[in-house]
Amino acid sequence: MSAPTPILEVRDAVKHFDGLRAVAGASFDVARGSITALIGPNGAGKTTMLDLLSGFARLDAGAIRLANRSIAGMAPHQIARLGLVRTFQLTRVLAGISVLDNMLLAAPRQPGEHIPSLLASPRLARQREARARLAAEELLETFGLRLKAADYAGSLSGGERKLLEIARALMTESSIVLLDEPMAGVSPRLGRSILDRIAILRQERGTTFLFVEHDMDAVMSRADKVVVMAQGRVIATGTPAEIRADSMVVEAYLGGLAGERVP
Amino acid sequence: MSVDFWINVGVLAGIYGIFTLGLQLNAGFTGLLNFGQAGFMAIGAYSVGIFVVSWGLPLWLAFLLAVALAVAAGMLVGISALRLRSHHFAIATIGFAEIVRYTLQNAEFSGGNQGLIGFDDDWRSVNEWALSKLASVELDAYTQLPLLLAIWATFLVLLVTMELLQRTPWARVLRGIREDEDATAALGKNTFSYKLQSLGIAAALAAIAGFFVSLNITYLYPTVFDPTFTFFGYAILVLGGLGSYTGVALGSIIFWVLLEGTRLMETSLSAGQQSSLRFVIVGLSLILLSRLRPQGILGNRNELRAEP
Amino acid sequence: MATLVETGEAAIEDSTQPPRFARLPRPVILLLVLVAILCGLIAVFGPTMAAQATLNGFVAGGYIGLGAIGLTLVFGMLKVVNFAHGDLMVSGAYLTILLAWLGVPLPLGMLLAVTGTAALALATEKLVWRPLRRAGAGTLQLFLSAIGLGLVIRSTIQFFAGSQVRTLGANVVTSIAFGPLRMGTLQAVAFVVGLVAMVIVGLALRYTNIGKEMRALADNRALAEVSGINTSRIIDITWTISGCLAGLAGVLYATAIGSFNPNFGITLLLGLFAATILGGIGNAYGALVGGIVIGLSQEWSTLLFNARWKPVVGFTLLILMLLFMPQGIFGRTRRRS
Repeated sequence: MSAPTPILEVRDAVKHFDGLRAVAGASFDVARGSITALIGPNGAGKTTMLDLLSGFARLDAGAIRLANRSIAGMAPHQIARLGLVRTFQLTRVLAGISVLDNMLLAAPRQPGEHIPSLLASPRLARQREARARLAAEELLETFGLRLKAADYAGSLSGGERKLLEIARALMTESSIVLLDEPMAGVSPRLGRSILDRIAILRQERGTTFLFVEHDMDAVMSRADKVVVMAQGRVIATGTPAEIRADSMVVEAYLGGLAGERVP
Repeated sequence: MSVDFWINVGVLAGIYGIFTLGLQLNAGFTGLLNFGQAGFMAIGAYSVGIFVVSWGLPLWLAFLLAVALAVAAGMLVGISALRLRSHHFAIATIGFAEIVRYTLQNAEFSGGNQGLIGFDDDWRSVNEWALSKLASVELDAYTQLPLLLAIWATFLVLLVTMELLQRTPWARVLRGIREDEDATAALGKNTFSYKLQSLGIAAALAAIAGFFVSLNITYLYPTVFDPTFTFFGYAILVLGGLGSYTGVALGSIIFWVLLEGTRLMETSLSAGQQSSLRFVIVGLSLILLSRLRPQGILGNRNELRAEP
Repeated sequence: MATLVETGEAAIEDSTQPPRFARLPRPVILLLVLVAILCGLIAVFGPTMAAQATLNGFVAGGYIGLGAIGLTLVFGMLKVVNFAHGDLMVSGAYLTILLAWLGVPLPLGMLLAVTGTAALALATEKLVWRPLRRAGAGTLQLFLSAIGLGLVIRSTIQFFAGSQVRTLGANVVTSIAFGPLRMGTLQAVAFVVGLVAMVIVGLALRYTNIGKEMRALADNRALAEVSGINTSRIIDITWTISGCLAGLAGVLYATAIGSFNPNFGITLLLGLFAATILGGIGNAYGALVGGIVIGLSQEWSTLLFNARWKPVVGFTLLILMLLFMPQGIFGRTRRRS
């Protein structure tokens, strides 16, 4: 909770869509090794923020630094190689390949993915593959998907897909993982168990997590720090206790709550 | 009808098998709807002809250069068109193939509609030599037999190579792109580069097929590379099965036996009507396969993207 | 995959700040470019030749635009890239020939041929497209079915009519003179009929209930269904209109050009695509403007190059459009959701 240098720094980020300001000058930090929640009413710009951080949308103005390095203008795969991985709000498992292949695809530094190095040292590729397979099986075990490893990912249930996508994100050995609504579309029990596993993995590996979530109980109980967005801006940051006491946050939520999913 | 007839069917099946391996890599394994394959084939075949006839290069060197040129064309098409949505990419590739055909039809360097001739002397001497060997087993009467053997040997080598490549982590990235390009990019894969590689390899395969077309017909003219032939390739692809290289070989054999076999039927139809009928059959099989068995004979339904 | 690349594309477009001249509305730029080219052509080739080519361009733009409207309506609503559309045009022309051969007077024959083509298009919806949609077919299956359908239609026509060049048997010699400009009487008729048809379609799409429902359906299928629109009826109507316009475009092409063979549809098709994309997918008015731009470009190009390169102009425009303005002249960058 008291990390010296932030792993992620966002400064005055701006993103327009068709004249609409989806993100309008947002700034916040994510501390290394923390579990940070990004919350806010619908349309606050949370998903756009994740898109900006992961390179799926390009910044119109402002700066984003990942481990002291500017990532503005980088493509998603370049950012991913710097150690930032994300999941999507609507799960995106690769339905037409097996669960295990979903995991193996996420394994970093596989020389077999490049034809020249594959031809130069097929043995290295095989060794790496064997190691990746062990890591994948271990993670699948953790997420209760071990028995489904050979199945096509398309045959999984909604909850299992969510688990697979998170497991796949962890497989990349990234230093920071962005989760877009990890609890949406799964049972509350499974949702909480996902968060439990995340907390354990943070302990074990020191991975940083930034997650967007609507379930306030989950946010307040699991996050070290909360960033609140409304209308494209960050209106508050602080510990869950501080946020709970912040009148502006309460107002933003009460203002935005009408007709919205109630946590 | 004779053995020569079936040798010709085998030649066509082999050539289109090689051609369709590229479509399998693109459409079956990368999710790229490349409808310009006939354009790459034309570039391959014509480059061979032009390098030999106008530049005086030996046939084999011309062949290598032609493959390189087709790959370069693939890169060019890819770099400009790969960022398009799938529908638009497909249309753009058809546009590319049409431009290639019109250029060959109307330009000076390609002999226009007169076409190109006299580039295959090197092959003929190989053919003579092969026939003299075949004479010992009394097969030298079949003058196209050496070509058939060369084509199928090449096809099988390429088939095995593609099959082996398919089992590598490299191909897993392609399949990831087919399923969901964004999700694959989010895992750190440079999806554009992989799509470009996929297209480049397909263009090379098309150029190899084009080389054999030129040896088979010994005379190059633009209508041989009508973009319709890309659709023949797709008919073979869906017949054999999406996502199966073995299916390509099977599909190509079935397709050409059926298509050429119709010539054996005694009918009172004119040659023009027979050829129209053959196209009706190809069209109907495309419609029916898409509807009834989109995964083809050997394809895997799970690997078929159902989402439009 | 379609939606993914789309979002990626939007992201890229958003990031590129347009150069200053591009701040003007795109249609205005297009108009300025066209006027500039025309002025250039007048300066180089003299007013008569330039005006003659422009006149021919509008005639060509008429049938390309009509064909493109049918294509864009179907593409916009059903995401079907109808490769058989050019062949529907061919059906219109050949049905006219068939009816004339049966002794039906030419104008009546044309009308019946247009109706027949509309019926054919509706039949393809019932026999091919609806079952495919129900089966949840993917992009590749839709593409291949359209290609297959085109092959079946074209080759069937070829089977009965042969591949030789044919004419409608109308008088193609008479012409009308406008000062130094000449226009074949039939060309003039084709152009006027085409223009009237476009105006009618345009008004009908805008002001009739069916037109409004068609636009609603193309905009958001799920929403249209929820709001009680009878979607399968609207889809049927869309195919009928598309076929009707294709038939008409084919008949007008046959009338204006005079001689043709069953391959004219596939040759025109890429020009139709170019017009469709230029106008923005699903935008009927855009397709019309796109058709005229393509027609003008092709005819103007004959002043500069040999006429045999004419189709290449269409393909090249198509590719340039796809590369630099895939959302069309009237399109907007989409917000990703």
